[in-house]
Amino acid sequence: MPTLTINGRSMSVDAANDTPLLWAIREQLQMTGTKFGCGAGLCGACTVHVNGEAVRSCQTMVGDVAGKKITTIEGLSAKGDHPLQKAWIAEQVPQCGYCQSGQIMQAASLLAKNSNPTKEEVVAHMDGNLCRCMTYSRIQKAIMRAATEMRTASAAGNERRPT
Amino acid sequence: MNQHVKNVTPEATDLSRRSFLVGTAATGLVLGYAGVPGIGEALAAAPANFEPSVWYAIAPDGLVTVTCGKADMGQHIASTMAQIVCEELGAKWSDMRVNLASNDPKFNDPVLGAQITGGSWSTMMNFDAMSRAGAAGRMALTEGAAASMGVPAGELTVRDSMIVHAKSKKQMSFADVVKSGKATKTFTADELKAIKLKTPDQYTMIGVSVPQIDIPSKTNGTAKYGMDVMIPGMAYGAVVTPPVRYGATVKSVDYSDAKKVPGFIKAVTLDDKTQTTTGWVVAVANTYANAKKAAAALKVSYDGGPNAKLSSQSLLDEAKRLQKLDDSGQFFVKDGDPAAALGTAAKVLEAEYTTSINIHAPMEPMNATAEFKGDILHIYSGNQFATRSGAIAAGAAGIDPKFVVMHQMWLGGGFGRRLDADMMVPAVQAAKAVGKPVKVIYTRENDMTMDFSRPLTYQKVKAGVDGDGKLVALSHDVVSAWPTQRWGIPDFLSPSVDKKGPLDAFTVNGSDFFYTVPNHNVRAIKNEMAHNATPSGQLRSVAPGWTFWAVESMIDEIAAATGKDPAQFRISLLDGAGKNDGGAQRLRNTLLAAMGLAGYGTKKLPKGEGMGVACVSSQERATASWTACVAHVAVAPSGEVTVKKLTVATDVGTQVHPDNIRAQVEGAALWGLSLAMYEKATLKDGGIEQTNFDGYRPLRMSQMPEVAVAVIANGEKATGVGEPAVTVVAPAIGNAIFNASGARVRALPITAEAVKGAMKA
Repeated sequence: MPTLTINGRSMSVDAANDTPLLWAIREQLQMTGTKFGCGAGLCGACTVHVNGEAVRSCQTMVGDVAGKKITTIEGLSAKGDHPLQKAWIAEQVPQCGYCQSGQIMQAASLLAKNSNPTKEEVVAHMDGNLCRCMTYSRIQKAIMRAATEMRTASAAGNERRPT
Repeated sequence: MNQHVKNVTPEATDLSRRSFLVGTAATGLVLGYAGVPGIGEALAAAPANFEPSVWYAIAPDGLVTVTCGKADMGQHIASTMAQIVCEELGAKWSDMRVNLASNDPKFNDPVLGAQITGGSWSTMMNFDAMSRAGAAGRMALTEGAAASMGVPAGELTVRDSMIVHAKSKKQMSFADVVKSGKATKTFTADELKAIKLKTPDQYTMIGVSVPQIDIPSKTNGTAKYGMDVMIPGMAYGAVVTPPVRYGATVKSVDYSDAKKVPGFIKAVTLDDKTQTTTGWVVAVANTYANAKKAAAALKVSYDGGPNAKLSSQSLLDEAKRLQKLDDSGQFFVKDGDPAAALGTAAKVLEAEYTTSINIHAPMEPMNATAEFKGDILHIYSGNQFATRSGAIAAGAAGIDPKFVVMHQMWLGGGFGRRLDADMMVPAVQAAKAVGKPVKVIYTRENDMTMDFSRPLTYQKVKAGVDGDGKLVALSHDVVSAWPTQRWGIPDFLSPSVDKKGPLDAFTVNGSDFFYTVPNHNVRAIKNEMAHNATPSGQLRSVAPGWTFWAVESMIDEIAAATGKDPAQFRISLLDGAGKNDGGAQRLRNTLLAAMGLAGYGTKKLPKGEGMGVACVSSQERATASWTACVAHVAVAPSGEVTVKKLTVATDVGTQVHPDNIRAQVEGAALWGLSLAMYEKATLKDGGIEQTNFDGYRPLRMSQMPEVAVAVIANGEKATGVGEPAVTVVAPAIGNAIFNASGARVRALPITAEAVKGAMKA
């Protein structure tokens, strides 16, 4: 029975090693924020982080992530208040909302490395995530808003830091 | 004309269907479902709640929960209904909550008399009923507060969930009044009708972009879709669908390998008397991953049936054959004598327009969970047509529809796809066969190849112009599968003008435009072959997605042939004569607004660039939102088209939620672009060839042009915004391509090859 480290907790799942991580998360652990969209790595709805990298959980097998640090939308922030989640609300991004967990997780992996992305970098990073409601312009705006907030927070943190 | 949607006025609202009795205990309102296990608990509010109408309840803590009878697929209709109630009720927005309705008929649409979500109808058809429900609650709460305070009700004011007596400085919250039990006023249907609603100048909520109630749950993974339903002890089903879209039968199933899959429970060959599916098998296992493995291990042999050799080309050839026959089809519009007028016209133009098969492909693949509890079948699924879908589920189970309870979920995209109930058939039959609740999940491949698609369409348009360049005749034939006739509900069909029996207006809507053309006919021709081989559905905006492609392209062709500016030519046709009075002027004004915002005709564009216009109404003339688009494109010598900007103006009468309207219009316009340039499905050997997002390619972020939206709110009644902008974009792009390059394209989606081929050498 593989043991997974998800959102900081260690959990064993009753699933064969060749089970896609997506289904282990959704069915075994009953965390349904991560969505099934295409099963082929073409839409991004199932995006989670493995050791901080955005991956498609429908293409990632349980046996390959044992011992690695997995983060889902449920674990992105303690109270749904990651700068991206706040920005998603401020910009009123979601329509049907089904793809948005994946969009947020994909965006979070960008901002973790680059808190000042250009529009082109955002598009290049996000182009694998489909939104059938076509909320793309709001997704872009929300990423830029969150990036600004993260930079501001980080600058404020720097100021307070003793020299 | 479409008959099922007449002019929607408050008078058309059938209040007699509704129970608006203030103070009536919820349990008394459960109608035919009273005593049914499960549903009673689900619907009955605690006795202490104040339930002014079926549409909402106020709890002793003051929270107001609005029950939305409409499917919420991202248009935030639940939040919109709450906003309309909130305006008249006088509640504080942060006190509002939403709940999704079951299929209890008491939640039927007040105008349509059924639970169906589509047509951009919801706001328009529910605005009055929700307003009156809110006002009735306010009046009852006010009277209750007056009794408690010992002051005249007329001296009280209501705002932000507080009822205030200014003179004595006494006040009570909604929570206080509900707890007092003094809100007991009842309203008859006539009294409800007589309530004087606020006038727009008194609005404090309508027209405000309040935070959508559902959005936070869609940023943290907590919103529950059909896909997320978990029932203790449930099993999972994966479907095996045949290579032929419709008409195949299962000859035999070899279970031997499937039985070796761990967790495998059973495979069930569907016996679908509703004829929604043909030749399907569902593999049931303890997990979905195992169900999929078992499905893959089943060896199913089929008889392909009568459609197994058909292709897109066969459907198109058949459409052309039917169009040539004089006695094909029925007339939807027959004004004047187009044949005679074409005979005497100075110039006749003739063109064929086509659109491909298109797939809904909402991000949440189709799914349904079925559970038998006692005599009751519970279905958990996000669905747009609970009234019909409940009947399909009942048909699959072999029980009376009154024993089916539909539990509505948030929809991970609808776009018309979830008007259908095919996903319920395998869930129901699997649950019945294994004696456990079963959740059936389609793979994306199942979802795409078994879509109730937008049909392949073929249109032939002939136009006659007199010696002065005036359009005197238009003859328009529309050949397609008939998506709504497939439902088998006579109320959704419309009588033909030539009295040749009912026709499916959802194949020709839009062609009854607001231009003044003295001799005009529209013939609706059913392509039986396409109808059988590719059972079609309603895809976001339905017929106007193809009829305006033909009409708005042809209008441009006429303008070009007569040397007129295409926008000015449209304005001249929108003269508001006769039946077009009112609508034509609104459409003209909207077109002018789009032209103004886009700078149409005000600047010289670089070589290879051009602008094109189109203007449309909505699904029905009676439900129009007036919408116009200016597309700005660049066309390369290779035929490659870059859409640089889409400018869309829309007249919605009254804006309930301005920000949501902009979101819907932008999403709709990008849908229009996606259908115009990127999305194409094809039929080969009876099956849809595209199986996932590599073969069928909706618009991605990198393909998004600049989109500018202008919303016109002129105080007329609120109309719908989810659809018209879908239909206006393709013809605007086609016309812009012509303006940029002289290439006229007549087939959707538009390809570089077609553009290059149409360029003058």
